[in-house]
Amino acid sequence: MSNAKGYIGYNGARPMITGRAPQHIQNLVIRDYCRKRTLAFKLSASEYAMPHCYMMLDKLLDEIASHDGIVMYSMFMLPSRRQRRRDIYTRILAAGASLHAAVEDLSLSCGQDVERWEDILSVHTLTLNNHLPAALQRKHRDGPG
Amino acid sequence: MAPSRAPDIAATPAGFLDPAEVAMTAQFLKQGYVIQPAADRLALDRIRDHLAATTARYLGESVPSDSGDFLNRLHEKVSGEALNDLRLAVIQDINAQAWLRPAYFAVARNTIETLIGNELAMQRRINLSIQMPHDDKSLLPVHADVWSGDSAFEAVLWVPFVDVFATKSMFIAAPETNAEMQARFKAFGDQSAEDLYRDIAGQLTFLDIPYGHVLLFNQNLMHGNRVNTESETRWTMNCRFKSVLSPYADKKLGEFFEPITLRAMTRIGMDHELPTGFEE
Repeated sequence: MSNAKGYIGYNGARPMITGRAPQHIQNLVIRDYCRKRTLAFKLSASEYAMPHCYMMLDKLLDEIASHDGIVMYSMFMLPSRRQRRRDIYTRILAAGASLHAAVEDLSLSCGQDVERWEDILSVHTLTLNNHLPAALQRKHRDGPG
Repeated sequence: MAPSRAPDIAATPAGFLDPAEVAMTAQFLKQGYVIQPAADRLALDRIRDHLAATTARYLGESVPSDSGDFLNRLHEKVSGEALNDLRLAVIQDINAQAWLRPAYFAVARNTIETLIGNELAMQRRINLSIQMPHDDKSLLPVHADVWSGDSAFEAVLWVPFVDVFATKSMFIAAPETNAEMQARFKAFGDQSAEDLYRDIAGQLTFLDIPYGHVLLFNQNLMHGNRVNTESETRWTMNCRFKSVLSPYADKKLGEFFEPITLRAMTRIGMDHELPTGFEE
């Protein structure tokens, strides 16, 4: 019998910065990612629809010791605030688990991966903000997510 | 609709680019591509040797002593039906090598930095094309990448691992041909890509590129390939580069592109926050 705890999926109902995908399509993408990487897939958890709410992700982090890792539909589901993201990475890595982004086909299992993910997310925010008025830039950067 | 005005090197303020950069930029704007000697020949040879060794292993053969000859003669060992499985196995293997993307960048670093910039995003998976003689299943009809979701700010680094010429190579339209076709493109709305090709075939250039050289081309220009009627197999890889902070289209940062050369001040700027807490 395998000792694998398995990987929990994480999808959401909110439109992402990169667009919207129905949850059953998100699950297909998550399952396909796990199949290609031979990760034991468990059920997906769905984030609540309220903007900037990460209660379901927080729940998965609380119970991270019972998973090998979390497979998100997209890395762009992570909070927009950098420190909040770093806290998530820290909790996952401290538990010896890993974080995965199915659409981007990326995994995060060490500090070097954290910087790789942050480069992508930070540059994406920067390119987005270049097209926003200053007030909206501040709103996007600061808060409340 | 009148053809759009082509960019001109004269638009760049004088005295900022060095003479070699001015010459390369002018050539790229005029013809839509440049062909340059590989900037890092060892990196190029490493990629070619890996392609040949992986292919030989897939075919159950020993690693060839002459990678170029082995690749050129692939069609003597593989049927057209078996080609795609082989291609997928090789592309999977080589993209799993951590050294591949730095090596691929190194073969044209100076050219890329001159024509695109020095803060770059690079495609995450490098494509491989194998075109055996008379194989009609590996063709790319005339197209421009920007028509199918690429940003107009991207250029393609196209690297041959054998000598390519005539139909063993790719064709590209000159900027004037492209602009003229774009102005009457709507007329082809109910016709096929092959009709489009026939209309401009006489104005297309098939690029002769000896092994050891690389091609950087403007993917906004129409390009493609035809059935390889030469006697050797074509092996090429292609990968898109863009300035990391230029606009993205459907090929997104993260899933398709990844920053590779962020510079210090950009990192500092991305982290910077003004003091807060002031009230109106």
